[in-house]
Amino acid sequence: MKLLVPKTLAVKHSFFEKQVLENFAVSDQIRQLLPDAGLVRGRIVRCRGDAATSLALSLCARASQQGSWLGVVGVSHLGISSAVEHGVALERMVFVHPPESSRDWSTTVAAVIDGFDLLIVAVPEALSVSDARRVQTRLQSRRSVMIIVDTATLSQPNFSNNVHPFHADVVLDTTTKSWSGINNGAGYLQQRQVAIKVSGRRVARAQEHLVTCSY
Amino acid sequence: MRCLDWPAVVAAKTSSSPCVVVHSQRVVSRSVGAMHYGIQVGMRRRHAQGLCPDLEIATYQPDRDRRAFNTVVRAVSELVPLIELNEPGIIVFATRGPSRYFGGDEPMANKIVQALRGSIVADSQFGVGIADSRLAAHIAAHISAQNTAKNTAQNTVKNKTPFIVEPEKTKIWLAQQSVRVLSEFANINRETVSLLERLGLNTLQDVCKLGESVLAGRFGELGVELHRLARGDEQHPLAAVAPPPEHLCSQVFEQPIFDQQTLLNNVQAMAGEFSNYFAQHGAICVRLVIKFESETGSYSERLWYRPQGLTARAITESAKWQIESWQIKDALVRIQLIADEVRTDTARQLKLWGGVTQIDEMANQAIGRLTELLGSTAVQLVKWQGGRDLQDNHQLVSASHFQPRQNESNVSDIKPQWRGALPTPSPSVVYSELLLVRVVDKDKNLLRVSARHELSAEPAQIIISQQSYKIISWAGPWPIEEKWWDTARSRRLVRLQVVIEKLMPDGSQQVQALLVALEHGEWSIAAIYG
Repeated sequence: MKLLVPKTLAVKHSFFEKQVLENFAVSDQIRQLLPDAGLVRGRIVRCRGDAATSLALSLCARASQQGSWLGVVGVSHLGISSAVEHGVALERMVFVHPPESSRDWSTTVAAVIDGFDLLIVAVPEALSVSDARRVQTRLQSRRSVMIIVDTATLSQPNFSNNVHPFHADVVLDTTTKSWSGINNGAGYLQQRQVAIKVSGRRVARAQEHLVTCSY
Repeated sequence: MRCLDWPAVVAAKTSSSPCVVVHSQRVVSRSVGAMHYGIQVGMRRRHAQGLCPDLEIATYQPDRDRRAFNTVVRAVSELVPLIELNEPGIIVFATRGPSRYFGGDEPMANKIVQALRGSIVADSQFGVGIADSRLAAHIAAHISAQNTAKNTAQNTVKNKTPFIVEPEKTKIWLAQQSVRVLSEFANINRETVSLLERLGLNTLQDVCKLGESVLAGRFGELGVELHRLARGDEQHPLAAVAPPPEHLCSQVFEQPIFDQQTLLNNVQAMAGEFSNYFAQHGAICVRLVIKFESETGSYSERLWYRPQGLTARAITESAKWQIESWQIKDALVRIQLIADEVRTDTARQLKLWGGVTQIDEMANQAIGRLTELLGSTAVQLVKWQGGRDLQDNHQLVSASHFQPRQNESNVSDIKPQWRGALPTPSPSVVYSELLLVRVVDKDKNLLRVSARHELSAEPAQIIISQQSYKIISWAGPWPIEEKWWDTARSRRLVRLQVVIEKLMPDGSQQVQALLVALEHGEWSIAAIYG
């Protein structure tokens, strides 16, 4: 996007100068969803809804192939076969099982942030806001990306709307609209249509996309 | 000195019972008892079971083997000052000093055999071989062990004879060996060896005759190594590079240390410093002496060798092994790390494109720290093992047995799919615990599956914790019938893909795809296409 700003004003307000953002590579389909055209280092992306886990994996896949390490913290039932199909490099994927308490959890996540570029985390309910802020500061200084997966998969949504300890930069709300390839006893699940609502601090205007994907 | 099939020896309950150690469905080691049934290393597990029905099967646990080997190490290190270990079952040492002390190679070898008579290895096949190069000594020890096995089989005198290749004759003796020894004893992969055979090079002599430059032209660096092994030379000649001026790292504790963990933390710090120091000089340490001294003056000194170079983590791991096997009660006052052999770093240069980069180094450090913080079971890496069920497909292994190099080669290539596995895409949320549900047909009867995997009716509804959802589409079933020959581990289940309709609180509709499984007459959610 190009801003038309009078030259004198532009000099006065360096705010209008283009900030240099370091991005992780993502696939073309995902790039269209995200603000600033990519996965920007130091940010928190939160995936919600029923396609959250798949979306989180597809966010990481390209960067993982290019050599970044992925730490999976507390997401114990992540389908590994699915991760492989998304293209996540398994040799650079580490599963970490953190302790439940708020302080220990944040210490663990901080240690993961130190070494890894990408994180997929499930946030425990007991996490305090101050610990969350500490983790976020660490994340911004280490230039890693944290992807929060809300595992509100069946009937138990674990955070009601506004009390989440993290202020995510981008929130991706997913709703599966339909599955294709399956037909009352025949075929198998092949493709689906997912509505993804993009909002968050870094998104000026919430947008909704309809994406067809084969995972 | 070499113990044949060490893992099986450890795993077996009695020394004569047939036992195999199995790793990813292949036999990696078998006991003497199993050998009589004709079971070979590399055989498939079911094949082995077919040959011997009452076979004991144990899983492969390097830790267990290592612990059990400590007794042997202790017995040998009482006779020989500096021993070198790289894997459980094998001890290598230089004979020059000890054999002069005991009055020759043969008396020394006999002494070792006697010393081990009381320990666990006495029943197993072990052999002592002496030769000029590491490869030759390995082969000699193997022959000696096999001779022992023959003697025991024929019930002759239980006499363990060492196999000694005379100093000047090593090269001639080695030249007669088949090229297969390279894959067995020198970590050359099987494909290369088979290629050599197909090229008509059947013995090491043939390889040797070809000339180094020819081999280098065909195989590159590997060719040079092949030629060197065939010649019977050592891998890391001491004078390859001038070692850095100072290669000793020592720490003296004014307060003696009792606690093993504190000690290991110190070792870790030292190891980091030590390997950094070499990295700065563009060198790596391939052989290292770790020495612990206690306040009463006793000490443990051991040689560690790793051809690809000892990293900081490897040093710490070695030190841990050493301190565990020493079993000292006294407090320790001094640790020393002495580099015994140093060479230029060719293989582990940090690369600009591909290979091990700085990111990997950082990740490795983080893994180390997390392991310290949470324990080794809480930090896991993924290993492919193959299977029909989603959970069997990959295995999570503790990160403390982490070897990035090995990992790099074997994970990233696409693995073949198992027959009977689910079609892709795979579900992204896989449950390990059972989430019981009820899948019913339109008359609210529980759905059943016949012996021929036919559904009793079309599924219509799924009841998850008293709430029922409408099934709008379904596919399957995909049956699994596994291990039906084994009552304890047999599994029989069918899986069904269902798409359910959900009403969201805000009134919108949403569909969700689930994978449900029926096992032992109970339906459960196995996975969610999340």
